[in-house]
Amino acid sequence: MTKTASHRSAAPPERGGQAPDEPRRAGRARRRVVATASVLVLAAAWYLATEVFAMVTPLVLPSPVDVVTAGVSVATEPYSGSTLAGHVWASLQTVLGGWLLAIVIGVPLGSAMGSSKIVDTLAGPVFNVLRPIPPIAWIPLAIVWFGIGQGARFFVVFLAAAIPCVINAREGVRQVDPVLLRAARTLGAGTLTTVRRVALPSAAPLTFTGIRLSLGNAWMTLVGAELVAASAGLGFLLLDARRSLQPDLLFAAMLVIGLLGALFGAGMRWLEPRLVPWEAGHRDR
Amino acid sequence: MTVELTRSRSATTIARPLRTAGSVLASLTILVVLWWLVTDGIGLVGADMFASPGSVADRLAELVTTPFAGETLTGHVSASLQRWVLGLAAAVLLGVPLGMLMAEQADVDAAVTPVFEALRFIPPLAWVPLAILWLGASVTAQALVVFVAAFPPCLLNAHRAVRGIDPVLRRAARTLGAGRWREVVWVAVPTGLPTVLAGVAIAMTNGWMALIGAELVGARSGLGFMILRGQSNAAPDIIVAAMVVIGIIGAAMTALMGLATRRVLRWQHTDTHRET
Repeated sequence: MTKTASHRSAAPPERGGQAPDEPRRAGRARRRVVATASVLVLAAAWYLATEVFAMVTPLVLPSPVDVVTAGVSVATEPYSGSTLAGHVWASLQTVLGGWLLAIVIGVPLGSAMGSSKIVDTLAGPVFNVLRPIPPIAWIPLAIVWFGIGQGARFFVVFLAAAIPCVINAREGVRQVDPVLLRAARTLGAGTLTTVRRVALPSAAPLTFTGIRLSLGNAWMTLVGAELVAASAGLGFLLLDARRSLQPDLLFAAMLVIGLLGALFGAGMRWLEPRLVPWEAGHRDR
Repeated sequence: MTVELTRSRSATTIARPLRTAGSVLASLTILVVLWWLVTDGIGLVGADMFASPGSVADRLAELVTTPFAGETLTGHVSASLQRWVLGLAAAVLLGVPLGMLMAEQADVDAAVTPVFEALRFIPPLAWVPLAILWLGASVTAQALVVFVAAFPPCLLNAHRAVRGIDPVLRRAARTLGAGRWREVVWVAVPTGLPTVLAGVAIAMTNGWMALIGAELVGARSGLGFMILRGQSNAAPDIIVAAMVVIGIIGAAMTALMGLATRRVLRWQHTDTHRET
C-alpha cells in the first residue's frame, strides 16, 4: 500500500522542495479533479453528439436519455415475458446455482487433488486436457443433453465456475507448509486437529480467491449461455433488444449486466477480509 | 561452481519440456481410453448424445476435405484465427502503450481509470449483440469482441510492468548518463517485459474464449459457428470434433507463448512472472 502511494507521487515531489506530505495530497486532489473531468467530458460528449446535435443515428448510439428511459420502462413494464426484475432473477438463479454447485464439488475435488497423489494422478489428466476448451463451447453439447432450458445454462455456468475452484483449492492445499504440519503432529495433534487448525487456515485464503474468481467466470459465461439458449434473463434481453433493433434497451441491459458484475466483485472483496482475516495481502491466482 | 550451475540449469531446461510432453501424452491417453469406454466400450451414452473417439476422428478427417456449413475444417479454422489475430493485435497495440503511458503520466491515469474500470465489468460476450448491431455479422464484429476480452490484461500488465520498475535502477541509469531513450531500452524493457508478456498470454486465451462465444451467437463461419451447426443438425460428432480442434488450438497458443516467452527472456534465471 505504501509502495503504490509513493510510486504514484514519485514524479511531483522530486521537483518541488516542499514537505513530503504536501505534494502527495496535492497530487491526490489533482487526480480526483482529472478523473471527474474525464467522466463529465465523456458524458457530455455522448449527450451532445446524440441528443443535441444528432451526429450519430440512434441506431448506432442511442442518447443517454433514451437509455435511461428504456431502462425505466423495462423495469416497470414487462418486456418479452417479464420485467427487468424477472430477467435479473432468472440470470441470478442460474449464476448463483451453478456457482454454489461448483464450490460444493470443485473445492473438495481440488483439495483432494492437492493432498493426495493418487487423486491428483487420476483427476489431473482429465482436468488438464479439458481445460483449454472454453466453457461456453460446451453449450451446444449441453443443449443436446439437457434441451434448451435451465439445465444447459446451469451446466455451462457450473463448468466455468468449477475451474478456478479446483485450481485454487489444489494450489492452496499444496502450499501448506509441511513443517507446520509436522510441528503440529509433533506437538500431539491428531489428524482432525491438524486439518482444522493448520491445513484449513493456511489453504483457505487461496481457496477463497478461487471462489471469488469463479463467480466472475460464472457471470461472464452465463451471459454467453443466455445469448445462445434462453427465453429469459439478461443475456436473452440483450439478444432480443438487438433483434428488435432497440439499441437503447441493449445499452440499458449492458449497463445492468455491468452493474451486477461490479456488485458481485465488490461483495466478494467485502467478504474476503471477513472470512479469511488472517491473510494480510490478498493474492490473485 | 559456475560449471555446476550451468550444467544443472541446462539439464532442467531439457528435462522440463520432456516431462511436460510426457505427462500431456499420458493425460491424453487416459482421457481417450475413458472416452472410448463411455461411448463404444460399454455404450453408456448413445451416439445421439455423444460421439465416440473413433467417429470423431473419422469426422475430422472427412471435414478436412468435405465442406460443412459452407467451409471445410481448414476454412473454419482460418476464419476463426483471422478474427482472433485481428482483435488481439489491436488489443496489444493499443493496450500496452496506453498502460505504459498511464503508469508514467498521472493525469492520463486519472482520466482513463474510471472509464476503464466501469467498462471492465461488462463481460466481453455481452458486447456481441452490440458488435453485430454496429458491424453486422462480419469479421470485424467478432474481432471487436476479441479486442474487448484481450484489452484489459494488456493494459493492466503494461501498467504494472512500468510501475514495478525499481526507481533506484532508473536513477542509476540517469546518473550514469543515460538519456530518456536509453533508459527505456536498457532499464524499462528488460525489467518490464516479463509482466507485459504474461499479460499478452492472458489476452491470447481470453480472446480465444470470447471469440468462440461470439461465433456461437452471430457468425457464418468459424469453429464456434461449426459447433452450433452441429447442434442444430443433431450431429454430436461434429460438435465434439470442433471442440477438440478448439481445445488443441487453445492449448497450442498457451504452449507456443510459453516457449516464446522463455526464448525472449533467456537472460532471466527465474522461470516466468505470472502475476495476474
